[in-house]
Amino acid sequence: MIKESYRQKEENELVKASLNGDKQAFGEIVTRYQGMVARTVKGMLGDLVFAEDIGQEVFIKLFFSLSEFRGESKLSTYIQKIAVNLTLNEIKRRKRFFSMFMLKDYDEMYEFDIADHDTEERKEASEIVNKALMRMDPKFRIIVAMRMLQGYSTKETAEILNLPIGTVLSRLSRAQEQLKNILGKL
Amino acid sequence: MEAAEIKKLLIRSLDSDADPEAAARKLEEAGVAFHFSKGFRDRVLERVYSTGYTVIRKVEFIRNLNSAFYRIALTGVAAIVILLISIFLMEGPLSFNSFLGLSDSYDESIICLLTGN
Repeated sequence: MIKESYRQKEENELVKASLNGDKQAFGEIVTRYQGMVARTVKGMLGDLVFAEDIGQEVFIKLFFSLSEFRGESKLSTYIQKIAVNLTLNEIKRRKRFFSMFMLKDYDEMYEFDIADHDTEERKEASEIVNKALMRMDPKFRIIVAMRMLQGYSTKETAEILNLPIGTVLSRLSRAQEQLKNILGKL
Repeated sequence: MEAAEIKKLLIRSLDSDADPEAAARKLEEAGVAFHFSKGFRDRVLERVYSTGYTVIRKVEFIRNLNSAFYRIALTGVAAIVILLISIFLMEGPLSFNSFLGLSDSYDESIICLLTGN
């Protein structure tokens, strides 16, 4: 159980405590940001079991790079960058693997494991978003995931993806076009 | 929220002047939510602390070494190919002497060069 005191700590304090070997402090960081990481990783890879492994990798990588975090940006931005990089690497790795063994396209292989939803309507909403995202080009998918699922502004998206704002805006507009086409067929 | 409404919301959320936070909130309310399974935090902590720092660090080191090796190997092969091409262009057919840069040297001239006579 996480002590109540950890819940009220500032992120800088949690980082310092984690660096000093405080397991509960790092646990609080995981608790605070696991939802955000899930939206990025599962939004880009699909709601599948292996997405959870990538989620774990994100926090392991964070743990070993905490000493490099200088607090110039928000911890959430730092974690988000790790999540985006690991997820994009995984997409590349899987694409390579599937094309190497002449398997059918990776994106078509999704069988969604949608979490329990209380109504059919909610389940359908989740399926529409998952299917639409998986049919998108990964470079647009990441922009859409940042915007639609995380609610980031154009500026925040640009900072996380290390792209100029103009590029994000142009990709947003192209992503919107692609999304219109995809949703028209669903 | 009906399917048609969801689709409209998705498309509108990508407008450059849209409020992305509000759209994300609406989507979450409509049932579009992503979570890791129960016990995710404990599994992460177990992997970080119980399996030992060294194992993960070792794996990380081997992974880095692996990627560095490929880069170095590729650069090395490219350098050898360039060297062979340049030798071929300058010296003609490849031979042991041309590798050593001795194609234009004769024994006498080397002795003269070394002894000064």
